[in-house]
Amino acid sequence: MLASRMQPMALHARRLYVNLMFQVMGNALQAISEVDGKVQDEAKALPDGFLFEMMVMPNGPSLVIEHKGQGRFHYHGSSAPRAVDLSIQFKHIAHAFLVLSFQEKTSVAFANDRMIVDGDIGYAVRMTRVLNRLEAFILPRLVAQRAVKEYPSNLHLPEKIMSASRIYLKVASQFVETARA
Amino acid sequence: MTNKYYEFFCPVKVVAGKAALEHIPYELTSLGAQRPMIITDKGVRAAGLLEPVVTACEESELDIVSIYDDVPPDSSTAVVRDIAGIYRAEKCDSIIAVGGGSAIDTAKAVNILVSEGGDDIAAYAGAGVIKHPLKPFFVVPTTAGTGSEVTAVAVIADTEKSVKLPFTSSFLLPNAAIIDPRMTLTLPPHITAATAMDALTHATEAFTCMAKNPLSDAYATAAVKKISDNLLRVMDNPKDADGRLELAQASTMAGIAFSNSMVGLVHSLGHATGAICHLPHGLCMSLYMPYVLEYNLETIRQPLGELLLYLDGPEAYAATPANRRAEAAIAAIRRMRDALYKKCKLPRTLKETGQVDESQLDAIAALALDDGSIMFNPREATLEDVKAVLQKAWA
Ligand SMILES: [Fe+2]
Repeated sequence: MLASRMQPMALHARRLYVNLMFQVMGNALQAISEVDGKVQDEAKALPDGFLFEMMVMPNGPSLVIEHKGQGRFHYHGSSAPRAVDLSIQFKHIAHAFLVLSFQEKTSVAFANDRMIVDGDIGYAVRMTRVLNRLEAFILPRLVAQRAVKEYPSNLHLPEKIMSASRIYLKVASQFVETARA
Repeated sequence: MTNKYYEFFCPVKVVAGKAALEHIPYELTSLGAQRPMIITDKGVRAAGLLEPVVTACEESELDIVSIYDDVPPDSSTAVVRDIAGIYRAEKCDSIIAVGGGSAIDTAKAVNILVSEGGDDIAAYAGAGVIKHPLKPFFVVPTTAGTGSEVTAVAVIADTEKSVKLPFTSSFLLPNAAIIDPRMTLTLPPHITAATAMDALTHATEAFTCMAKNPLSDAYATAAVKKISDNLLRVMDNPKDADGRLELAQASTMAGIAFSNSMVGLVHSLGHATGAICHLPHGLCMSLYMPYVLEYNLETIRQPLGELLLYLDGPEAYAATPANRRAEAAIAAIRRMRDALYKKCKLPRTLKETGQVDESQLDAIAALALDDGSIMFNPREATLEDVKAVLQKAWA
């Protein structure tokens, strides 16, 4: 590979970062679906067993979550137990990096044709709202404003701090579990 | 450097103006086609719009091998399968769609089946499933609104499973769009008004929503100017062929704009209202446009203000201070709606339609929130936001 001979470290680091962010998001999605009513309401409209995937074309990093019912998500890591129902695919790792490093909002990335949707558009719209809510929760306000179209006005500081810390706690503990396993 | 990036694609040859239909034989034969099938509906045939197309072809020794004129307003997978069967039995080699959104979408789906094979159109649903160019395909629009002649999508109902199947592929785009003023000359006033307002909405949303780009902007502004210059003139004088041609071209240009930059909340609400209350699409567009623009106002102040030049002309634009232009643009659209209400009773509020019950607003809001076009609306709309817009549009 020509590119890897030219800038091996930078490209490698970008791939690692995208991989790590997918893991953080996957764990956080599962955690947030256990504490946040708004995310639960969005998720409840998905069929039970609904598999959602975000991935980088052609065979790059990926994240798979499943709707277990009652608005709860389960993070499956990077591979799906069966064919997924909805897939959001970044056309290139560079585009995934732009979004996951919060340089380009998810909605802008859609508008910019950075990714394609394979599956029901209505569910894709719903999952985009879930991802926006997630980013607003787990990121400091300044960064989150860059990542989502509009920072939710009903996310008041105490709620945010409370929920975010609970989520961080869960993310941290799940990382430990994953590391042990 | 900014993060700005865009894509723009429109490979459709536009054949437009006086005696445009007579170019069909030359254009078709240059693609190697000799046995075209026409796909249309009963309304088009009853309006006498097929004769000029058929005559134009036969005079040039191009025989129309088959005419299917029974496309329903909401086409289905069964209709698509039937037409594909006739196409194969008659050994056709190309398709000419003559009509509005439904005939064009049906023809796109038929083209998938007869090019890719099989009888099950559902197998090709989704984005990017089709990987090869399809059979030669021309579109002759008979309404000036949908812009379907330049969009890469088709929606077909699967009546057995009661779902709507979306098909997306750049191979769905026709080889040519034939814009002839004769085809829209007999459109009744309320359809002329509603379809033109659909086109105006395509252009306005293309120019103010998230995927706007320099190329789609150019098409959008030109379309807005043509519609605001000609719509009311044509309403007063329906036989004005020049005005009709301007509206038809505006519709195609607005179609090129929005198929490259997408639409926003006006369309999300319109799709939901169409599904629940069965109101015509163009009517919904006209109805919702000012309320959504007001909701989006602070996010789109700059581009909306620019549109005033094309909506109301250079004098009005120059006389309006820059910080009032966005409001003035909305006012210009409201004046156009008031004039259309006077001329053909095109409703301006949900109450005026007489077909919507206030108790349905919550269901419309919920459905609109799951519509794909809401993703490209410049403001991120919550359920409460959408309900508030609907309440304003109620009366
Ligand atoms: Fe439309």
